[in-house]
Order: sequence, then structure tokens, then C-alpha cells
Amino acid sequence: MRESRTILGMRYGIVLLFMALYLLPLLYLFNVSMKTQFEYLANPLAIAESLRFSNFVEAWKLGNFAQYLWNSVLYTVTSTALSMLLSLIAAFPIARGYVKFSSFFYTFFLISMFLPNPLIPQFALMTELGLYNTQIGYILLRTTGTGIAFLLIVGYIKSISRDLDEAAAMDGCGYIRYLFTILLPLTKSVLATGVILTAIATWNDIIMPVIYLSDQSLAPVTKGLFAFRGQYLNNWPLLACGIIIVATPLIVLYAFLQKYIVDGALAGAVKS
Amino acid sequence: MYPFGKGLSRYVPLLLLMIPVALYVLLAVGPSMVTIVFSLTDATGIPGTSWKFIGFDNYKEFFTASNASDQVRAISRSLYFAFAVVLIQNAVALLIAIIVNKRLRGDVFYRATYFLPVVLGVTVSGLIWQMLFNPMGGPAQKLLNVFGTQSNFFGSYDIAFELIIFVQIWMYMGYSMTIFLAGLQAIPKDLYEAGYMDGARGWASFRHITFPMIAPAITVNILLSIIGGLQTFDIIYVLTGGKFETSTLAFNVFAAAFATTTSDFGRASAIAMIQFVFVFAFAIVAMLYFRKREVEL
Repeated sequence: MRESRTILGMRYGIVLLFMALYLLPLLYLFNVSMKTQFEYLANPLAIAESLRFSNFVEAWKLGNFAQYLWNSVLYTVTSTALSMLLSLIAAFPIARGYVKFSSFFYTFFLISMFLPNPLIPQFALMTELGLYNTQIGYILLRTTGTGIAFLLIVGYIKSISRDLDEAAAMDGCGYIRYLFTILLPLTKSVLATGVILTAIATWNDIIMPVIYLSDQSLAPVTKGLFAFRGQYLNNWPLLACGIIIVATPLIVLYAFLQKYIVDGALAGAVKS
Repeated sequence: MYPFGKGLSRYVPLLLLMIPVALYVLLAVGPSMVTIVFSLTDATGIPGTSWKFIGFDNYKEFFTASNASDQVRAISRSLYFAFAVVLIQNAVALLIAIIVNKRLRGDVFYRATYFLPVVLGVTVSGLIWQMLFNPMGGPAQKLLNVFGTQSNFFGSYDIAFELIIFVQIWMYMGYSMTIFLAGLQAIPKDLYEAGYMDGARGWASFRHITFPMIAPAITVNILLSIIGGLQTFDIIYVLTGGKFETSTLAFNVFAAAFATTTSDFGRASAIAMIQFVFVFAFAIVAMLYFRKREVEL
């Protein structure tokens, strides 16, 4: 089936038009970040007169980004690691039917998506437990063994033969040892996807930190950037530097793990 | 059969499973259910204050209080938001997916770029668009000036809400596109060749081959965007903080509980229940309709 030049041209035209909508904002962001406030006010659209990386140094200091980045790393690493551990513990017996009512549990873990927003009783509970405005409390809230990673691992374990369980058990391997020394290495690829999806969701979370981490010294980078905007409302060159400081780790990570991220997001969506 | 031993060790899997179950019940399902109870009380977020049951007063207040028209407008905005996102996001995503699916120079790069906002997250994406829609000489303002007009953008009662919808679609279009693309790539090529033999070209081939074959992807995308459209409010928080007539039901739950000095937990819970009714109704209707359609195709 051959297609005419007009149609091919139209296809490129539409794709490139949308590409502009996604890439031009980033280019503009970078351009603004290289300007002085004076240059920006004089003409926001003009190309920056020179590369001025000192803007970043200033934003880094004024915005307290070192602290925020550290908090984000702490929250993301701990809650993602715990989530993977719990997801594995939940997924294996359910995928294999090693517990009664395993299909009930599977459905049960999906329904929270449709239930009323748990925000308010959850907040009351966390306050009651003394976990409001604590790092442990926020990490606990971001930890789950029943989310996207769980769904992905269940699907993956079903594709691993049961014979392996039986052979290992025959050789005297116990349940816990089997789970962590034999099964865990086998599920590496799907765990990697789970790690990425869970980590992105935690890293980018803004609402829960706003609710649960009122102390600014506990804020992750999202809440920190938001506060930075509130403080330097019209100093867009400085703000642009702040945005780039927060976005760069994500863009670098994405450049390397692009395939995992997109495939993983896809698998997660279709499973749920 | 369970191969790892008998007797007490038989209960190890269940025991371990109870850890994630406990966490899920305690922090997700439990609080969801208790929302019903909270909605019937006058509880506040102020520590140490007492509370009592007040029946359906929170619901009555929602529909009859002096600001009831605000609440009704929030409902209609929620529906407007959800419908706009469902229709536009999926239409654009399907169009791009079809274009990128065929051989095109640099297609991997296009796909990666459209997906980037999901990775950047709502705070970074939101601030980037605030910069572009900066009323003080931002690029969008310059463009309007060429046509002899101007706007306050996110500070305008007329279009702030539409701009939020635009940014939401900009952020998640790549996600929907990825799901459509996977559906498209699963269609066997010989189906099109067989169709071509039977005279199916262009639109006919799309209507009778592509469209039925990607029915599952359409179901997934529509369901995700309905649920997302009715539950999302972080984008509103970042872009306008609910000002300029941009608050939805989902945002009002958050605002009533956490963004006012009264922190009215009872009223916020009642709004959460009303929001739940909408999410549940639309999700069920959409699921039944699209699943039925999949079977008929």
C-alpha cells in the first residue's frame, strides 16, 4: 500500500507541530534561565545575551534545593524499596494461589481506585498516631504492596513455571528463602519497571507533602519548588533555574530508562 | 498444591501477606469507608475539639447553603473537565498514535518526547506553563498582542479553567498515545492486506479493521481518563490554587479540609462522598458500555 506525498507530508506536519508544543516550552525555559532579570523584563522573548550559569548558583542557594533534593531522595528510595518488598510478599502467594481466596484479594486490592477519597479519615488517623509532619509518616503513606508494582509482579510470576517452586521445595528450600533468593532474581526486569513507576509517582507527589509535611525543612523538591515560586513571584530567570534544577535529574533518568518507563506505564495501565 | 512444607509453616504465606493487607486496610480502604461516617459529623481538623453526629446536615448545606450555587458550579466544572479530557485527550492521542505507528523518521524520539511531561510531573509542568502564560510579556501574551488583544490567563475568570484543562491534556496525552500505540501494534498486518483485497481503503479500513481491533485500548483509555478527570486536582492546586472559578469537586474536598482555617472535616467528607457517587456512576456506565461494545465487535 503506497501513500501519496501529500499524505506523508501531512503526517510529518502534524507530528512536528505537536513536537513544537512539547519542545518549545523547554527551550524557552532554558533561554529565560540564562537571562538577567533586567534582560527578561526588557524583552522576555529575545535570545539570552550570553550563557549565564551563575543564575543556577544563585537559585540553588536561595531556594535551599540541596535540602529539598535530599528529602526527595530519602522519601523516594525508602518508600520505593519498601513498596517493592511488600509487593513481592503480596504478589507471590496470590499469583500461585498459595493462600485461600487469592482471587478475592486480587480484586480487593483494585477497588480502592473507585472508593471515596480516603484523605480525611486518613489524616485524622495519622494525627492520632503522632505521624503528622514526620518523615516516617510520609514514607508510610507512600508505601504500598498493593499498587501497580503488585499487579505487574502477579502477571509476571504467573508466567514462571510452578515446577520451579516444587523442585526447590523438594530440595528443602523454605518459602521465605525461595521468595528472596530464587524468585526475586527472576523477577528483576518487572521489579525494575515497578521501581521506576513507584519512584516517579513519589518524586512528583505534591498534594500529600502539602498536607502532611507542613514543616518546610521536611519538604520534598516539589513542595520546595512551589514555595520558591511563591517567594520569587516575578523573577522568572531565577524561577526558570529552579525549575531546571528540579527537572534535570528527571530528564537525565528518562533519557537512559525511556524504554522501561514507557513500557512499564503501559503495562501498569492495561493491568489495572 | 502448596509445596513448601506442612503444618504451621503452611501459614507463612498468609502471615506475610497480612502485612501489605494491613497497610492497605489501615491507610486506603479503611479511611475510604470511614469517610461515610465522617460525612455525618461536624468534626474539624482542630486537635482536641469534640464532635457529634449531625445527620445529613453537611449534605443539606452543600445543596442549600448561601454558597450552594458555588457548589453546583463546582460539580458542573468537574463534569466539564472530565468530558473535555476524555474527548480531546483521546482524540488527539489516537490521531498521533496512528501517525506514529506507520514508518516515520525519528518515531522513537517523538514517542519519548510526548511522554516526557508524565515524567516531569505536575509541579514542573505547571510552572513551565505559568511561565509561558505569564501575563507580563510572556510568549502567549505577545502572541495575543499581535492580534490586538490580551488576557490574564491563569488569573482570568474567563479562561483560567480552560487553560488548566489544556495543561492537563498536554501532560497526559502521551500516556494515552502509548496505550493506543500498543493496541495498534498488536493488529496483524495481513488483516489490512485482506481488507485491501476486499477494497477497504483509508477511512473504510480504519472504520472496519483498526477501530474494532483497538477496542480494548479505547476502553482502558476512556476509563482511565474518566477516573483521572474526576479525581485529579493537583494540577488545579499548582496552577490557580482553585481561584478564578477553577475549583472542582475533587479540589473542594481538599480545600474544605486543608486549605481553610476552619478545616471542616465533616463537610469535606460529604463532598468526597458526592464526588464518589459521580466517579462510581460514570466508571460503571463506561465500563459496561465499552465492554459490551468490545464483545459485539
